[in-house]
Amino acid sequence: MDVPVWQRIYEQIDDPNFVLISAAQDTGGEAVAGPIFDAAGATYVQVVDEDHVISQAFHFVNVPSAAWIDENGSIVRVDEGTYAKTHVISAGDQSFTFGTDEYAPAVLDWIANGAHSRYVQSAETVAGNLRPLSADEQRADAAFRLANLFRAHGQAGKAEHYWDMAQALNPESINYFRQNLTLSEEGSAGESFRARREAYLREGKDYYRPLDIGAR
Amino acid sequence: MARNMMAYPELRHPFEPTPLHPEGARTVLYQGRTIQFDNVGSGVGLLVSPADLTRLNGFELKPQGACLGELCIPLSDTVLKQQAGVTWIDLEAFATLLEQPFVADREAGVWSFGEIPQKRARTLVDAQAPEFEVTDRAGKVFRLADLKGKKALIVTWSSW
Repeated sequence: MDVPVWQRIYEQIDDPNFVLISAAQDTGGEAVAGPIFDAAGATYVQVVDEDHVISQAFHFVNVPSAAWIDENGSIVRVDEGTYAKTHVISAGDQSFTFGTDEYAPAVLDWIANGAHSRYVQSAETVAGNLRPLSADEQRADAAFRLANLFRAHGQAGKAEHYWDMAQALNPESINYFRQNLTLSEEGSAGESFRARREAYLREGKDYYRPLDIGAR
Repeated sequence: MARNMMAYPELRHPFEPTPLHPEGARTVLYQGRTIQFDNVGSGVGLLVSPADLTRLNGFELKPQGACLGELCIPLSDTVLKQQAGVTWIDLEAFATLLEQPFVADREAGVWSFGEIPQKRARTLVDAQAPEFEVTDRAGKVFRLADLKGKKALIVTWSSW
């Protein structure tokens, strides 16, 4: 739902020294992510990241997540629930709200003010916000990539084996959990997902790291 | 039964079986890249040439060991293997030495490597962005180095 919103923000920024890379974490590939980019008329860099390479590089475990990288290749903000706006979904007489209106203005401020933006974080803060990855969690990422390679070569048995391995090695990854559900009859928003989300709420765990947008 | 939301079971395994690589070759996955090694040493493990080591992760073989910039890792004969006068680097042994996580399917000849801890340390301590490689929908490759001199917002999302 953020894909068209980011397009409007990208057009508003209109700066040749700004790059927006939007990476769909979608093993289903172009067939599922492509039409969403196309419907948004996206002109920023569009990546269908079947292997979740971006999430692995920046230690993300859920979508949407984001990183700000400055002109020198330093991360100046990372890994928080990065919705481009507040979304309202209506179903019958019920509706629910998710997302935030706080994040996009912070991005605009950073583009305008660079290192002087109050939303830029220190290397120490950023390093503290990067999730530490255990050896098992890193092996989970390696297994996930292996699974997708076997899938791409029509070796379903091995693909399933390494997908299972990835989830077993990193059970906290919402990405791997929901990606797996997406490629099944149940879908990514069915009973398993709801049970998982309720368990997170019960245990007081962060589904996303909360935005700490005012802090510096 | 109505189809569930965000369910694509038909996309779980849509591909026909194809070989991963030619007979005798090996495949390595690292930092978003898929690299084929055609010339490998014989035996257990993954034995690659010094040039292929550099192609994979930037480490260069020097008299003092495997070097990446200022960092040099002394290598024992567990990592450096000689076969008929040819020098090979055992990538599994090198990864073990560096404590670099990996998952291997030796039967299929595929190795999937996690990040090298010495490289990851730059990110975890100095907030230096990690190396990665992705290809956009137009087929253009983007690496961290391509972003130099620009501000980049990298955002993930999903259809699910």
